[in-house]
Amino acid sequence: MLCEDGRMALIPLCCSLSMAAHLSPSSPFLRHDNSAPSAAVFAFRASWSADDWLLAGAGSPFGEREIDAALFPSIKSVGNDTTAAVNGAFLRSFKKVLDTSRLQAEVHAAVAGKKQIVFTGHSSGGSIAVLAAIWFLEQRLNFEGRGGQVDPFCVTFGSPLVGDGVFVHALQRENWARCFLHFVTAADIIPRCLLAPLSSSKDELEAILRFLCPKPLLFSPNTVMSAPVTFYRNVLGHALSVSNHQACLLMGCTNPLLEVLTGFVKLTPYRPLGAYVLCSRDGRLLCLRNSNSILHMLFYLFQDVPGADVEEVAHGSLEAHRLYEAMTGDHLNAQNIVSVDSSDSIPLSFTNGFDDKAQPVKTLWKDLDLSLEARLCLRAAAEWEKQRLRNQAKIDDNYSKIKEALNFLGDYRATCEVRGLGYYDTFKLQKDVEDFNANVKRLELAGLWDEIVEMLSRYELPDGFEGRQEWVKLGTQYRWLVEPLDIANYYRHSKNEDTGPYMVKGRPRRYRYTQRWLEHAERSPAGSCTESCFWASVEELCIDTGDGKPFLEVRSRVVELEREVLRWVTKGSLGRDVFVSESTFARWWVTLPRQHRAESCIARFVNGEDMLETMEASI
Amino acid sequence: MHVSKLSSLSLSLSLSLSATEASDVEFLGLSLVAKRFETSHVLGALLASSPLLAQAWSHCTHANASNSSFVVEHHDDTVYVAFSGTQTSALSSSVAGGELFGPVPISTGGGQELFAPLVGGKGDDAQPVLVQAAALRLFLSLYNSSEFRLLVSETGSRSVVLTGHSMGGCVASLVALHFLCSSAGSGSPSPASLLCITFGSPLLGDDALSRAVLRERWSGRFCHVVAQHDIMPRLLLCPLNSMPPRLVTSVTDLMQSWHFAVRYPGFSRPSFRLSDDQRTELHRFVGVHVAAAEQQQKSPYRPFGNHALCSAEGAACIDDPLIVVKLLHLTFMADPGSSSIEEQHISYGDLVAEISQNVLSKKRIRIEEEPTRSSGYSAGVSMALEASGIRIQDMGAAEARECLETRMWRRPNMNCASLAIKLAKVTPCRAQIEWYKTLCDDDMGYYDCFKHRKAAKRDAKVNMNRIKLGHFWDGLLAKLQDNELPHDFHRRSKWVNAAQFYKLLVEPLDIAEYYRCKLHETRGHYLPHGRARRYEVFDRWWNEGEEEVREAATWKKKKRSKFAGLTQDSCFWAKVEEARECVKRARAEKNPAKLAKLWDSVSGFEGFANRLIERKEVSVDVMAPRSSYSLWVEEVKELKLKRASSVLVGVER
Repeated sequence: MLCEDGRMALIPLCCSLSMAAHLSPSSPFLRHDNSAPSAAVFAFRASWSADDWLLAGAGSPFGEREIDAALFPSIKSVGNDTTAAVNGAFLRSFKKVLDTSRLQAEVHAAVAGKKQIVFTGHSSGGSIAVLAAIWFLEQRLNFEGRGGQVDPFCVTFGSPLVGDGVFVHALQRENWARCFLHFVTAADIIPRCLLAPLSSSKDELEAILRFLCPKPLLFSPNTVMSAPVTFYRNVLGHALSVSNHQACLLMGCTNPLLEVLTGFVKLTPYRPLGAYVLCSRDGRLLCLRNSNSILHMLFYLFQDVPGADVEEVAHGSLEAHRLYEAMTGDHLNAQNIVSVDSSDSIPLSFTNGFDDKAQPVKTLWKDLDLSLEARLCLRAAAEWEKQRLRNQAKIDDNYSKIKEALNFLGDYRATCEVRGLGYYDTFKLQKDVEDFNANVKRLELAGLWDEIVEMLSRYELPDGFEGRQEWVKLGTQYRWLVEPLDIANYYRHSKNEDTGPYMVKGRPRRYRYTQRWLEHAERSPAGSCTESCFWASVEELCIDTGDGKPFLEVRSRVVELEREVLRWVTKGSLGRDVFVSESTFARWWVTLPRQHRAESCIARFVNGEDMLETMEASI
Repeated sequence: MHVSKLSSLSLSLSLSLSATEASDVEFLGLSLVAKRFETSHVLGALLASSPLLAQAWSHCTHANASNSSFVVEHHDDTVYVAFSGTQTSALSSSVAGGELFGPVPISTGGGQELFAPLVGGKGDDAQPVLVQAAALRLFLSLYNSSEFRLLVSETGSRSVVLTGHSMGGCVASLVALHFLCSSAGSGSPSPASLLCITFGSPLLGDDALSRAVLRERWSGRFCHVVAQHDIMPRLLLCPLNSMPPRLVTSVTDLMQSWHFAVRYPGFSRPSFRLSDDQRTELHRFVGVHVAAAEQQQKSPYRPFGNHALCSAEGAACIDDPLIVVKLLHLTFMADPGSSSIEEQHISYGDLVAEISQNVLSKKRIRIEEEPTRSSGYSAGVSMALEASGIRIQDMGAAEARECLETRMWRRPNMNCASLAIKLAKVTPCRAQIEWYKTLCDDDMGYYDCFKHRKAAKRDAKVNMNRIKLGHFWDGLLAKLQDNELPHDFHRRSKWVNAAQFYKLLVEPLDIAEYYRCKLHETRGHYLPHGRARRYEVFDRWWNEGEEEVREAATWKKKKRSKFAGLTQDSCFWAKVEEARECVKRARAEKNPAKLAKLWDSVSGFEGFANRLIERKEVSVDVMAPRSSYSLWVEEVKELKLKRASSVLVGVER
């Protein structure tokens, strides 16, 4: 991936531009057009004020807040319907850049010029670049021409983390995470600082940023930084806490103490996104892509070396933040970068036998000089990914089983139409053995889908699962075919009297999830694909008009439903058997006031005028 | 939400049998090869990397040096309450008498209500919970003081860390237990979230307490920090009565020196030393008896909750009481030269600082010297042992390793998945019972059909299904109790719903079986004496879920328009049986006072049943023409007539 389309060649340029951006007083970003490879590089400058790092009054010690759904509609967990959280201060800064600078216009121009778009930045500038790149990914469908089809590239240097686990999950799902590359050195404290709850040590952060601020920007003489030992300790301790906590989860710890501790230890919500190139203390470059592995390595490369002087180390952790140009200098070269997280064979012991095949790997790991804890954590993280793939394989095995059951119900539906009562009402009556068998199939399918939903709600499937076309399609098919049966069953047993209307309390998660999948895939607004709930609206309207509510009170709901029905029937997502004269819908509809019926947009369907046309069409 | 309940419950009828078996095997296969990790030391490192231990300890030292029985301090949004361990100076003087350290029932001196769910003693768990007399006495005097109100109001609905050193830890544990008990029932305000951290505390309770804590799923709330060579947490595993007098003197002296040291920390003092002989003897005594404690239970005391077994290298958090006992012994015996018995009990501050420093810095791991362990699991076990203070070369290392490795292998999510498959397997049993119920609805109802066993073959089949389902759910509860399932298992709607549906459908059959076998004549009625624990647990799950629903509900409950599919009170039939007995006895009863009492309970049930029926919360089988309930209604009518006529007769006379 690193060697792909000449990105490597751009990195030294990006790094020096990122540094130069700090000194550009007029614009929040610098633009530079490179000729070979052809690219437009946007470098964002960092902020050296703690207020731009940590949102005051965010209500969380880590300063995160929900991402703007309008600006970043894809950055959520689809089925679970959880919005991602990002650092509120970075988000605010980015929105300011977007609103007040020429960024939009220049990006549009660059796309029109068919250039590879590159976003970059050092320190918090990199975090802004990350948000810019995501904004671009969200927007690119709207760009004219084919320029928007090319992935952007985002490379950061020593940047703090931006978003939480859902944020990373969403970018993985969209397959956008591959656009991000971060460079972090072993000693640099800044990329790690948001692992600690900084709201209580904002003054220290301010002092540190002041110290790091490039000299020409300072009006007052540079303050001498006293060694930030407490700050360093704070970050180090929290980095270990979050690494250990994650390790416990991935290793399958069952001790209930873990859950209790989670309530008492402040753990960062932020997670690393995309690929990281980590530079160890002896200058080795490691590349990692597994977010959990990166989280562990952020600590394990940073941890204390026994015997070192703490003040010196703490001071060094600041100095290291300035040294990225050296790291990405000329000797940067894809062959020097060792990819470590994908390997299955993270050795735990180096003295174990002399298996020749394993030896080179072992030598490599031995040279990396990671502690056994670190290697176990990496193993657990890799193992977790594998487990998710295995879960997916298991779910994929059910695909044909689901398909088969859906075919069965499809046939049942056809016989219902022949029987003249419509699919919904035949099932609701449960008169014949076919109806019973259909009910059993419904239950079987529910079991299969609930398993998927359960796994999704715990993120136990690969991040990309909800983006897979075949499953979105199958889910939609399932929802259209089977949800009416669930509704029929619900109202047949009068469960609405136990718990309220189907849509409020009764709708199983398996339908909510599959509906959101479709809405996300089609980029349509939330709640726009409710055709499978048609019968629930009908039943509720039946109850309300049956209770003697005056028509005027429900009129707007009726009209709304009719309009939707017209849309769905035309689109083909709702079967025409709903208009069969004996169906619950038709019987209810004819009780509506005559005048309303005459004017209704679906009158021709219910009166059967349209049936002939369809029959002709189908012949 | 309890709808998605009822609809999502029947769910997993799915999966044909052959496929099911195949995937079961696959699950096992997977779990055996891959992904097995030891986490006790990782959890220990998490604890050590957080400021919790250091904070808690500094509050403990304040409390120990103060005159009051506890100190309250706020730190961020957490309230720390540290209980003094120096309140009983008399303590040290009577070690040998075994009186203070002797166990008494937790209900002694008013503890009945304070620890209600623990005292309960229902069914098979009738054994009373025993705790240390001294700790209970300290707790009760604190509880009855005015300060305690203050404590309750300070901690109500907040995050609270209760902590204490030595005896202070025992008091902290009792306060924590009391808070947990009172939040289990509703009542006085209790902390929103609670963690109890003790340092070097003696054991507090017996096996029954240990099991009760597991059963209530509270073991994560307690973290007992134990230093490798601290004798205090180990002492109560030894039979104190048989302690040789010379040792009693040593221990008493030790305790007095500790007491003095923590009570007056600023006071410089000559450090107290045991003679070498005394030390060796004490070490041997504790070592021998703690070793014996795992096999033969001479001491009534057992660990409960988590123990964080600490060495300078780290900490291993272990929540299995048996393994804790074993490791309390093995860690004590390992590396005896490294530190002194005299100092360990009062040096937790240094220990905590050292551990948190060590987990942060890079270690040269000795395990690398060991060539044969290449699996992640064994390497993890080695690290856990090292964290607890047992190194590879130590003599107990092999034993300790075996003990950790052969520990029951808990894999919650895997277990959960395979349980779902098993549920799918037993669902047909339930479907058959449902079918049976529908068949019987019009005649006498499935309760009476089953009770009378008219159709032997069919009923026997139903009985088989009933038993299979019972096995399944009991097995599930056993797994839950052993922490083999995810901690939020009892809140997952799929399982809550499935359990509720099972209870509503099958409990009537259990009741029928109970009365068919006439067990009520020997044991007493079903409700107080015959109800299986699973149903009580399911009641609790359901009600907890209901509360959440009620909080979130914007929708108001309307009256049902037709009878429920299943009677909403699964014990309805047990109440019918009791009411029938009342009627029977009322017929023969001559004593007017007793008769009036019987009539009271008859009309009590009548009102209850009528309300249920009016709200249509019973299933149609209740009203079946020949059901026990219908018969009872007839009997009551008859009896009332008779009574009215006898009253009339009386008036005429």
